[in-house]
Amino acid sequence: MSVDPIVVAAFVDGELDDLTARRIEREAASDPAVAAAIARHRALKERLAAHYAPVIEEAVPDRLRALLTAPDALDTSLADRRAAKRSRFEAMHWAAIAATLVLGLTIGLRPWQPTTEVVSDQGRLVASGALARALDTQLASNQPVGAAIRIGLSFRDDDGRFCRSFESRTIKGVGCRDGDRWALEHTLRGQARGDYRQATSGEMAAIAATMMAGEPLDAPAERAARDSGWGRR
Amino acid sequence: MRFEEELVALLPRLRRFARGLARHPSDADDLCQAAIERALKSRDQWQDGTRLDSWMYRITRNLWIDERRTAGRRGVHSPIDDAATQIAGDGAAEVEAGALRGDVDGAMARLPDEQREVVMLVLVEGYAYREAADILEVPIGTVTSRLARGRETLMHYLGEAA
Repeated sequence: MSVDPIVVAAFVDGELDDLTARRIEREAASDPAVAAAIARHRALKERLAAHYAPVIEEAVPDRLRALLTAPDALDTSLADRRAAKRSRFEAMHWAAIAATLVLGLTIGLRPWQPTTEVVSDQGRLVASGALARALDTQLASNQPVGAAIRIGLSFRDDDGRFCRSFESRTIKGVGCRDGDRWALEHTLRGQARGDYRQATSGEMAAIAATMMAGEPLDAPAERAARDSGWGRR
Repeated sequence: MRFEEELVALLPRLRRFARGLARHPSDADDLCQAAIERALKSRDQWQDGTRLDSWMYRITRNLWIDERRTAGRRGVHSPIDDAATQIAGDGAAEVEAGALRGDVDGAMARLPDEQREVVMLVLVEGYAYREAADILEVPIGTVTSRLARGRETLMHYLGEAA
């Protein structure tokens, strides 16, 4: 063979500069041994690639994913922001708090047990507790396995507010950012069945579509919005 | 969160690399798990802006080599690596090669660790020689020579037409 085997391998691996690569192509055209060596190397490479390709398609085991999506893996800047918010809140005048009637809304079958996901603030429904936390922090593109609340679409409405559709076992709806809370625009009772995650969320998507200005946020835009605290434009 | 998200995105490829090193799926995922835990623990050693994938591959590979060494010291010696050292022209090996013609896992298992990792990085993961050399922290000439020997062995076991 007119070419060093290592050079043939480098040719197949795309490691040669253009000039040398063209020389190898010419050699292959005139020397069948070179052409055959190139074919063998390509065949091996394709064989290996095909053999390991299915691993990429496999679902990543939960035990691996869980290491990276556990709640304590949330970034600390977010926790810092929430701590700052809490301290501002504590500094607020207690009279202002007393003036706010916070009423537990009854959702589900036990009216005497108020859910903490939704509260009424001066006649308006706002997210609270776990729902507020999910709307604040959870990314649709990267939801923890088994999350109690699933985020659907994130988008801006005609007023430029960030809105997010959500769904849990007991409640589903769309929350829109209003100051530092989430005003609930459309709230429906959840299906209260175990399979809500498999059920089509077409209903919420349709409601979101009527509210949306432009396209829903893609994953990077959603993350950027969250990291900026869902501020207005 | 960015760090974790990038790692999550990397998981399918990392599992493929680990599968090539460790062969058995559960061993490979154990290796991935150890690598993720190590990465989370030493995340401040990763410099933002540098390639997270190379860093993760290096961690994974180093953990694997450590484990193999520990196993070797414990006397759990892999008979596979011996087979690879005596392939050429050996009549018994020719017979074995015939039996392995369709078995990529079997052929890969006959490579010494240092050849198998180079084959995975360059031929499967698609890294350039330079990148593979950086991940393995060896000179580029070492990559090309290990790759050449690994290829020769694989072609031998998998057949000329691979």
